[in-house]
Amino acid sequence: MKRERPQSFNTVPMKERMIIPRQDMPEQDAGLRSTNFLEVNLGLRPEQAVVEAQRCIECKSPTCMDGCPVNIKIPDFIQLICKEDFIGAAKKIKEDNSLPAICGRVCPQETQCEEVCVMGKRFEPVAIGRLERFVADYAMQHGNGSVESFEKPKSTGQKIAIVGSGPAGLAVASDLIKEGHEVTVFEALHEFGGVLVYGIPEFRLPKSILREEVATLEAMGVKFVKNFIVGRTMTIQELMADEGFDAVFLGLGAGLPRFMNIPGENLNGVYSANEFLTRSNLMRGYEFPEWDTPLYRAKHAIIVGGGNTAMDAVRTAKRLGADEASIVYRRSEEEMPARNEEIHHAKEEGVKFMNLVNPIEFISDDQGSVVAAKCLRMELGEPDESGRRRPVPMEGSEFVMDVDMVVIAVGNGSNPLISQTTPEIETNKWGNIVADEDGRTSMDGVFAGGDIVSGGATVILAMGAGRKSAIAINEYLKAKVGSST
Amino acid sequence: MNLKDQIRSMDMDNIVEMCINQEQQAIDLYTLARDQAKDDTSRQKFQELVDMETVHKVSLKNFEIENYLELPPADLKITDYLMDPVLKDNMTIQEIIILAAKREDKTARMYQDLADHFHFDKKLNTFFQMMADEELRHKHDLETEYENEFLQEG
Repeated sequence: MKRERPQSFNTVPMKERMIIPRQDMPEQDAGLRSTNFLEVNLGLRPEQAVVEAQRCIECKSPTCMDGCPVNIKIPDFIQLICKEDFIGAAKKIKEDNSLPAICGRVCPQETQCEEVCVMGKRFEPVAIGRLERFVADYAMQHGNGSVESFEKPKSTGQKIAIVGSGPAGLAVASDLIKEGHEVTVFEALHEFGGVLVYGIPEFRLPKSILREEVATLEAMGVKFVKNFIVGRTMTIQELMADEGFDAVFLGLGAGLPRFMNIPGENLNGVYSANEFLTRSNLMRGYEFPEWDTPLYRAKHAIIVGGGNTAMDAVRTAKRLGADEASIVYRRSEEEMPARNEEIHHAKEEGVKFMNLVNPIEFISDDQGSVVAAKCLRMELGEPDESGRRRPVPMEGSEFVMDVDMVVIAVGNGSNPLISQTTPEIETNKWGNIVADEDGRTSMDGVFAGGDIVSGGATVILAMGAGRKSAIAINEYLKAKVGSST
Repeated sequence: MNLKDQIRSMDMDNIVEMCINQEQQAIDLYTLARDQAKDDTSRQKFQELVDMETVHKVSLKNFEIENYLELPPADLKITDYLMDPVLKDNMTIQEIIILAAKREDKTARMYQDLADHFHFDKKLNTFFQMMADEELRHKHDLETEYENEFLQEG
């Protein structure tokens, strides 16, 4: 369907827009920030945001929306920024994305909306992510737009349980509360947000922003229940049969850490990224001693992996006081799945990169603590199925280096609790829940989306899956009412 | 008598039969593991391994040395440095793949050793080289699966 172009408020002549430089995000000084947990990026200033918005050339057929997994009306909100209607712009984004302040910070825009921005073909793309973050923050600071405009619809009397308060669960909650359903979010941990709270450090996503988003949903009528483990505290069957929930959405995420299966992974000082980041983020180890969660201050911490989780872990280790913090990655930097921005920031903060190196054993002292890592050097061979060149060990390249902390960040799998307690729900061989594109599982009334279905992915993809499921749940509930009348 | 001396005293049919028995041992092991596995996904994975070994066993019965193409797959060595998993009823898929890849590696090495040993006998050398390559191909497929799922570093 052809979209109508939004009204233009851009007063800059077309030719001049192309020579406006992309606006840099102000950020904390690298030397200073590597010793604190305050946010690295400081956000665009209002005048910068307007200038950046004026770079948009208002394409007849904009491609930016196609690059967004939740199809935010990007051209529309950019025009509202040109008009300096920042609250209006935030409301426009919230029509499609309930967590813009979060997505503006953690989405990989360079491979989504900004990658397909027409400006990017000849010049630098419009900084859509920075603009999204700017208006979301502005709206928060000046009275949250979505609550003011939210009129609670007439109750349908139908109850939905959402299991997991990560990005997928929050997206479903936001969409279904607007339909008049009773929505309850069950969270296993003692704080809401899932991976956003336990996985992403304060310096990349301040938790106050997440709490604000959760508070907004609460104000809209969503109930939040913490310390509730579905599958232990209560099963899905019990939620539906005993508690009267008409439908259940499973947004459990992929929180089961994977290890390498090499000798020494059980030594003291060897963590999974999941444990290390949870200790620092959720358990506030970064605020020790105010918060009673000690974390080891390493002489040399190595983080094994090359994704965003590895970057979060290595930058956390550095901030916790490690004399030296290194990424150990078995491929080259070109193949790293981490965002360029995260790699760039890590380097600025003094993180060392040991690429084409793979640990094969961790060595202990007589107390069972890690003191060294035995590694192999790798060389790149033929590309694998993902197109990344495959690393192959180099003969005779073995070496040992001193380390006193290791964090394994090679990926996560799905928690088997639901599949063990609800055999009606089909899972694949990796333990992920099998669901159709609208999130329907093999169990009637149960839907699933996000990492528990797709395996580890991005925040916005999980939200996109949640939004699709919300539509399907709504249709399911309408049909349920129809069939019972 | 060691294996190499035994092979010297065998005709080609006996040698093929010996290799078929080797495949059958793997089928028996994976069948037992499948039947003892506690969850569906592990059972499914062991069944895949049973199927893989069964195909190899059947192809051995119908093998023609003339059809052998010298296309040895790359040895990715991904599981070479990993710990040997213990066969138990609650193995993870990760452990099952490591176990199977290590078995394929061990068998490939045995056949490669035999191929090298019988370098003077064209027929035996080709046969054992073919067997080594096939086992290495299985290892390659398992390690590719392992890499795709467990080493994405995302």
